[in-house]
Amino acid sequence: MAALQTDSGSRRAAGARFFCTAGRGLEPFLMREVRARLAATQVEYISGKVFFTTCSDLNMLKKLKSAERLFLLIKKQFPLNVSSVSKGKILNEMQRLVNDDPESWMSAISIWKNLLELDAKKDKLSQRDANPLKRKVEENDITNPKKLKTEQMQELQESRQCQLEKQMEEETVEQGDFLTNREKSQEAFQNDVVKAVDTPDQKDLTFRVSCRCSGAIAKTFTGQEVGRVIGIALIKQYGWKADLRNPNLEIFIHLNDIYSVVGIPVLRVPLASRAYIKTAGLRSTIAWAMASLAEIKAGAFVLDPMCGLGTILLEAAKEWPDVYYVGADVSDSQLLGACDNLKAAGLQDKIELLKVSVIELPLPSESVDTIISDIPFGKKFKLGKDIKNILQEMERVLHVGGTIVLLLSEDHHKRLQDCEQSGIPLNSKGSHTDEPGIEKCLNPGEKTDLSDTVSSSSEAISQGGLEKMPPFGSLVPMECYRVSLGRTDAFIYKYRKSHSLGL
Amino acid sequence: MKLLTHNLLSSHVRGVGPRGFPLRLQATEVRINPVEFNPDFVARMIPKVEWAALLEAADTLHLVEVPKGPIEGYEHDEKFLRQMHHVLLEVDVLEGTLQCPESGRLFPINRGIPNMLLSDEETKT
Repeated sequence: MAALQTDSGSRRAAGARFFCTAGRGLEPFLMREVRARLAATQVEYISGKVFFTTCSDLNMLKKLKSAERLFLLIKKQFPLNVSSVSKGKILNEMQRLVNDDPESWMSAISIWKNLLELDAKKDKLSQRDANPLKRKVEENDITNPKKLKTEQMQELQESRQCQLEKQMEEETVEQGDFLTNREKSQEAFQNDVVKAVDTPDQKDLTFRVSCRCSGAIAKTFTGQEVGRVIGIALIKQYGWKADLRNPNLEIFIHLNDIYSVVGIPVLRVPLASRAYIKTAGLRSTIAWAMASLAEIKAGAFVLDPMCGLGTILLEAAKEWPDVYYVGADVSDSQLLGACDNLKAAGLQDKIELLKVSVIELPLPSESVDTIISDIPFGKKFKLGKDIKNILQEMERVLHVGGTIVLLLSEDHHKRLQDCEQSGIPLNSKGSHTDEPGIEKCLNPGEKTDLSDTVSSSSEAISQGGLEKMPPFGSLVPMECYRVSLGRTDAFIYKYRKSHSLGL
Repeated sequence: MKLLTHNLLSSHVRGVGPRGFPLRLQATEVRINPVEFNPDFVARMIPKVEWAALLEAADTLHLVEVPKGPIEGYEHDEKFLRQMHHVLLEVDVLEGTLQCPESGRLFPINRGIPNMLLSDEETKT
């Protein structure tokens, strides 16, 4: 991995390699997102993890919306050889993970440190009162170059969001001040940061190892055992101290039949848990993925006619703010919760709420541009609300050419048609993004039994064939993804309205 | 409920059809919220506005400085856009009613949320 470079612009480091975990079925969304948001290269999806290389800093990385957790990659290599080999030999191989290539360890730790330093600096800033900082910035406006000023003004305008976001923006602005006022080069700035921030020396690092074992190796070793072996090797190799409760550094290891992956979790809190959402209904990653499919354009009218706590609208409004959002629900308690959520996220001016029924929308025909909804399932929703009625009313209010993105249960899915999942191959760049081959090699003896183990979208991507998904009236099926909700699976459907109903 | 939303809602009482628009607005509690001005966004909303309905609602709420219709080159007319921004997005009806002009059915607005649920007899088949 490359060392620090003093590039122009906002780059502070050359490309580093990361990986993210993602919910089953969301991997294609994540791959697309890292390319779009982070200009990521070398994007691969292998068995539940998306690997990528990017120059983006922590601020941009934190914006990933379809990932669960983010890790800095130390190493990824072939799985440990566990067949017909002594336990001692396997232990040896594990130690080699630590000892063989200190370069990659040191390099990753150095990158991790840089990411952390900037983050720690931000934390220190956040402890100050927000207002004095803002005032200071405004005073300096005149002395700053125009470009920086525009950025600051934009950031100040946008700072009606939650506290965390405000702090992030102020941090960026503060750095801008440093640069302008001191007129130092980027390198010098880095030195300032290093001096200013309290990071422990290499030798004084405390660490903890978390290890996950699955597949063949799990039969011989537990995660804990492996963790211990690795931990001891690390102490020997680098002189670090183990701290199980509050370590500086966490090392994450995943050993399975496909790979051995070692990484450093970059953030304490998973990306999937959003600071701006008070009470989540639907999982935010899925909500964002649905919104990303919906082709939301500036100035559009976007409706969620079964909005519940408003998770989908919140995720959409955060990403695509110049849009008119309306949420509707029949439940008072849900609407109250949604109202709370909107206020907590600072989005109450962007999202309107209505108490209306999805099968009786008080909207003129063809008045809505986009509909995104999580169709609830369960006992209480079976009565009186057939999925067909729901879809019919949505179809009526939608503009011709508009899109509908729905989250449907297995039941809804079956009721709408009688076929297996299918999907459009995404605009993937090259074959290394599809790893269905790897999935099938997982358990060669169980190749015929893939339907349970492999329900991920890699199957969906490789199959194609939307001919099996029949249209609904004027709604033409566009894409379909199977995603995991934890205990159950659901389907993300995308339709486009092809012609007017003349109603 | 903002006036932009009111502008979109129609009555769905049985048999009413297009005569269910516009819903007559009565407000007992209104709040003016400052909202960040985004000229691009406002400009995009202008073509969607049903002006008669908007003017009727603005009148009921005794709003002033309400443009009577789109003007030539409105996309770049900041004064016009700011006035529309205020009318459409900054006026929030917290308590009041919406009335179907055809059937007379009243829909209440509570805490800024209009309740337009129909009872079973009222729902059209």
